[in-house]
Amino acid sequence: MEKMRGIKAYLQQSGLLIFILIMVGVLALLSDRFLTPANLINILRQASINGIISVGMMLVILTAGIDLSVGAILALSVVVTADLMHRDLPPLLAATAGLSLGGLLGFVNGWLVSRIKVPPFIATLGMMSFARGLALAYTGGKPVTGLDAGFRFLGTGLVAHIPMPIIIAALVFLAGYLLLSQTRIGAYLYALGENREAALFSGIATGFYTKFVFTASGVLAALSGMILIARLDSAQPVIGLGYEFDAIAAVVIGGTSLAGGEGRLSGTLLGVLIIAMLNNALNLTNVSSFYEGIVKGMVIALALILHGLVRKL
Amino acid sequence: MRGLIQRFSGLFILLALCLFLSFSTEYFLTQRNLVNIVLQTSILAIVALGVGMTMLTAGIDLSVGSVAAFCGAIAAGLIVESQLGIWLAIPVAVVAGISLGLLNGLLIVYGSLPPFIATLATMAIGRGLTLVYTDGRPITVPDPAFVFIGNGEVLGVPLPVIIMAALLLTAYLFLAHTRTGRNLYAIGGNEKTAHLAGISVARGKLLVYMISAFAAATAGIILTARLWSAQPTTGMGLELEAIAAAVLGGTSLFGGRGSAWGIMVGVFIIGVVSNGLNLLEISSYYQQVIKGFVFIMAVILDMYARKK
Repeated sequence: MEKMRGIKAYLQQSGLLIFILIMVGVLALLSDRFLTPANLINILRQASINGIISVGMMLVILTAGIDLSVGAILALSVVVTADLMHRDLPPLLAATAGLSLGGLLGFVNGWLVSRIKVPPFIATLGMMSFARGLALAYTGGKPVTGLDAGFRFLGTGLVAHIPMPIIIAALVFLAGYLLLSQTRIGAYLYALGENREAALFSGIATGFYTKFVFTASGVLAALSGMILIARLDSAQPVIGLGYEFDAIAAVVIGGTSLAGGEGRLSGTLLGVLIIAMLNNALNLTNVSSFYEGIVKGMVIALALILHGLVRKL
Repeated sequence: MRGLIQRFSGLFILLALCLFLSFSTEYFLTQRNLVNIVLQTSILAIVALGVGMTMLTAGIDLSVGSVAAFCGAIAAGLIVESQLGIWLAIPVAVVAGISLGLLNGLLIVYGSLPPFIATLATMAIGRGLTLVYTDGRPITVPDPAFVFIGNGEVLGVPLPVIIMAALLLTAYLFLAHTRTGRNLYAIGGNEKTAHLAGISVARGKLLVYMISAFAAATAGIILTARLWSAQPTTGMGLELEAIAAAVLGGTSLFGGRGSAWGIMVGVFIIGVVSNGLNLLEISSYYQQVIKGFVFIMAVILDMYARKK
């Protein structure tokens, strides 16, 4: 039985891998610049922002939740961090403050969901409006530009020729992988998503872990925001609009069920890569950005239908 | 008394808000302002009625904002560039919108996609189609007959309000007094049971997504007519506002619970809050902050009222 399940999971993953390989093949034919090392690094760098958010999003979705507020939390955290640096706070302190703020807002989401029993969709929708409004009010709608050179290393620096965003995203994925597959907490999260009451009755502190995943999602959203503004050298209050949808799409394309309890981090990684490759391909082939939505929507639907077909095998 | 509070908790929240606003600003209770509120909420009301029906079947429709923009653009384009009369342009635009709704339904029923994802894909596709069709630029429609749809009055009542009232009545009769309408509750309550009871789940789901797209198309055309112009970016975020209105009006995100009147109450809570924040001259940035807060508070109050 255990073995059958392993094979099934393997097939599901390979379905996605085949999809990616076909995509790479098609894109390589469409543009001879696609398969160059510089471009592949570029794809990974672009994927790192959505990747980091997606790890947090996946933790939330595993517990049968959803987090619509990541884009807004990202925005509020980065404008506060950028502003604190402008007030001559050391970058490390400013970034810590931003990350803590992201965590705090995430914690409030988790508290609303676990303690007050507000549906996650509603709690995070309210938080989305709340945090975005605060980001706009805090900055008066204007971007905060010109950031500390040391801070900008987060977005533009290289370590052993590898861009910092990729290294940070890789570390986040590694941490997520260890958490989900090697620790008790990971097992608890799956149990929580599978059946909340059963998890509670078997002694899992469901409230604590719900707050934990939303807090993690908030911190990771803030972290990806730090990298983003470090690259752009500017923190805009409208930054991260719609990022929640890209993250949810990546997680779901990767095979995580929106009903919770089912999914693998490797799938999420593949989902993130598919979305990043799509964006990159649209740029390389000079397709008007107007077509972006059409192509993205169709690929998301196709990938998931393929997923469903493989699952039925 | 308890039963009353349970049943009308949304209405009590709405009344409390109105009471608060009529004391804090003298303009609130003027006839002009009240008509204004109804006029401004008519677009949201029409969209929310459609989205609410998808929620009854335990679904959701994130594509309504894009569908509204798409249909507004198609109608405007056909009138201005193709010189089609409005009596042909509007039906074509509405059919185009319904076909996006059909796409949602097909992806959900036959593609087995979760509604959240299927309509998210259609949201991206619809917005893309709109941008391609309009080339990213607004289309101005000077046609007086078309503009009348958004700005005209019949017997002193604005036309959008009349359309909203007609759709509300239709939605109420459909949900409460037809078999197909009542079956939607059964589908949302428990899909398997509904299927075993002989209800065609597939047909019901296809229907609600087409209804939701029809409502969004109607709203998009009214919006375009009111502004004399189709903006490719119109209706962004409309889906979330419509879902919020439906939830505030007692529609469950998990299906099987909700009503047309309830959705109207939710829509007016949002409309009155927006109007009140404007009257109190609060900056648009803080309006968002307060709206997020009020939204969550209202849902919590509603939840507790139901429990007690």
